[in-house]
Amino acid sequence: MAQRYEPPKQSGVGQLVDSVLLMVFVFGSLMFSLFYENILGFLGMGADEADAAAAAGEVTWDSLGQNEVMQAQWEKLGYGVDEAAVLINDRFDYTIDPVALVVTAIVIIGYFVFLFRASDKEYREVLREKFDN
Amino acid sequence: MSEQTATAPAERINLLKVLGPVHVWALGVGIVLVGEYMGWNFSVGKGGAYGSLIACWFIGLLYTCVAMIDSEVTSTVAAAGGQYAQAKHIVGPLMAFNVGLYLVLAYTMLEAADALVVGDLLAIVAGQFGHPDLDPKPFVVLTIASLAWLNYRGVFMTLTVNFIITAVAFIALVVMFFWTQPWNPGAVLLHEKLLTDLPYGWIGVIAALQFGMWYYLGIEGTCQAAEEVRSAGRSIPLGTMSGMITLLIAATITWYMAAGLLPWEYLGQAGVPMYDAAQMTGSPTLMVLLFIGTIFSAIASANGCINDASRSWFSMGRDRYLPIWFAAVHPRYRTPYRAIIFLIPVAVAFGFTGLLDQVITFSILSGLLGYTFMSLNMMKFRKSWPLDSIKRGYVHPFHPLPALSLLILCGATYFATFLGYGASLLAIMGFYIIASVWFHFHRYKYVRRADQFTMPWPKPQGY
Amino acid sequence: MDFWDILSYSAWIISAGLLLWMLMDAIRINREYDEDLLISSREGADELLEADEKGGRS
Repeated sequence: MAQRYEPPKQSGVGQLVDSVLLMVFVFGSLMFSLFYENILGFLGMGADEADAAAAAGEVTWDSLGQNEVMQAQWEKLGYGVDEAAVLINDRFDYTIDPVALVVTAIVIIGYFVFLFRASDKEYREVLREKFDN
Repeated sequence: MSEQTATAPAERINLLKVLGPVHVWALGVGIVLVGEYMGWNFSVGKGGAYGSLIACWFIGLLYTCVAMIDSEVTSTVAAAGGQYAQAKHIVGPLMAFNVGLYLVLAYTMLEAADALVVGDLLAIVAGQFGHPDLDPKPFVVLTIASLAWLNYRGVFMTLTVNFIITAVAFIALVVMFFWTQPWNPGAVLLHEKLLTDLPYGWIGVIAALQFGMWYYLGIEGTCQAAEEVRSAGRSIPLGTMSGMITLLIAATITWYMAAGLLPWEYLGQAGVPMYDAAQMTGSPTLMVLLFIGTIFSAIASANGCINDASRSWFSMGRDRYLPIWFAAVHPRYRTPYRAIIFLIPVAVAFGFTGLLDQVITFSILSGLLGYTFMSLNMMKFRKSWPLDSIKRGYVHPFHPLPALSLLILCGATYFATFLGYGASLLAIMGFYIIASVWFHFHRYKYVRRADQFTMPWPKPQGY
Repeated sequence: MDFWDILSYSAWIISAGLLLWMLMDAIRINREYDEDLLISSREGADELLEADEKGGRS
């Protein structure tokens, strides 16, 4: 026969503190990722290479690999060759940092393992109270 | 059940059961359709036009799995928290707390982004009519405040309005599709000359998966209505599946029109691609139509998000995962009114942080974590309660294939998020880990153990 | 002060009005009704419960 768990009653102030605290966590993590990216930017990592590419030599629709239909559409959008070159040369960099990849994978998998284990412990307690009484 | 029932009042106020399949469709498609008007096109930037189309269909497969799995579980666990209530019954409290947070944060952040879209569009129009630098803030707040008010006043009117504006936004896309004469290539649509090879190869296609989610992100929100739907076991699968079909059609024609009108480098970074595409056709009628469609889709999305986020927050309060104060139901309107009010300033704050990129990444990743949960949850659900042990309103075919495909596709999408937003990803995981530790060691002590398990099911097998 | 300025100010005023209305209504409800009644909602869909009591699955 399992003992029924009786939770403490939470005061109004406690309820308020808990709600606010959770929101502090959320905004904290939003701020953190911004902060982190700013540091990277400050150290010159993750710099934009688009400008360098656009600056090299004279650009023509041909050198940008645009055919006459593409050129017509760009012009219809109000883009001249120079403005279009900025967008066209703005490429993503998909080089993978293996260490970061492994760390990220471990964090995600570890998180789910922790969730399922801790949940299971709590779940068994719920089932004991629900079904064994 | 001794104490709880003895002290509880004889009369209860529950959420109102008034919705039908049409409302379920409106809730699901309403949240998502804005993704067809904008956002999906960043996947074109990530992997080229064809890369985006491949992502569109692969992610479409992911979401079809989501819709099938959700329909089965929700037709059995019909409660306001949707996936939150599923997690509570099938995996356990800590998982449920996390799922509840995924839902609240994904939807509230999406709501903020939607409201910003409305404000920015008005600012653009004001600029075109000779009033540059219109401050979008009052319109962002007005959008959130008026939709919250609508939600506060009752779910039936809220989702009826959502049905009308979502239908208008969807019809706008279909009208434009026929206007561009897809049966007559080269007349308006110039695919032959505009489409290129994959600019980044296949890694670009994988990177495109992240924004490919925009085509469908939020369709799983239909489950949140479970407690307010008449005969949930039938209406939710019907509304979700028809919603998914609507979105697959909308996503494909959206890609087809945009890729046939705009060079991919432009499309890949455009703010309002469908409005731009309408501009390229040179038809003022289409431009007005697509402008209305964009505004309506953003409003419908914010509206559905308020509905869903408040339901999750409310159900977590009801189980004391969050303060019990949030579990109140309005005696006249029968809505979770305190949860609705509490989330208004939160949404406004998300909108005004100036961190839109982070907010959107947070929203997408929360959704993705939720899908990962759904896949694992489905396998556990079938194992703990085999088909003949409890009544299911709907049984999805080919188990465990959908759950496994979902898990694999989630893995690929995590990788895509890592490629694009590695630092944000870790910061967001950090948040969920801290929140979990906080819940496990602090918050859970206020939760009544057995009371959370409300379904009349037998004891799960293996326990 | 042109049309757009007026629109902005009205947006602020209407938002404030709606928020105030919700807040006042919530406070009034809290006063008029017993807290135990307000938080009395229970989870679970009744028709599923009934169907389950009959047993079997469709």
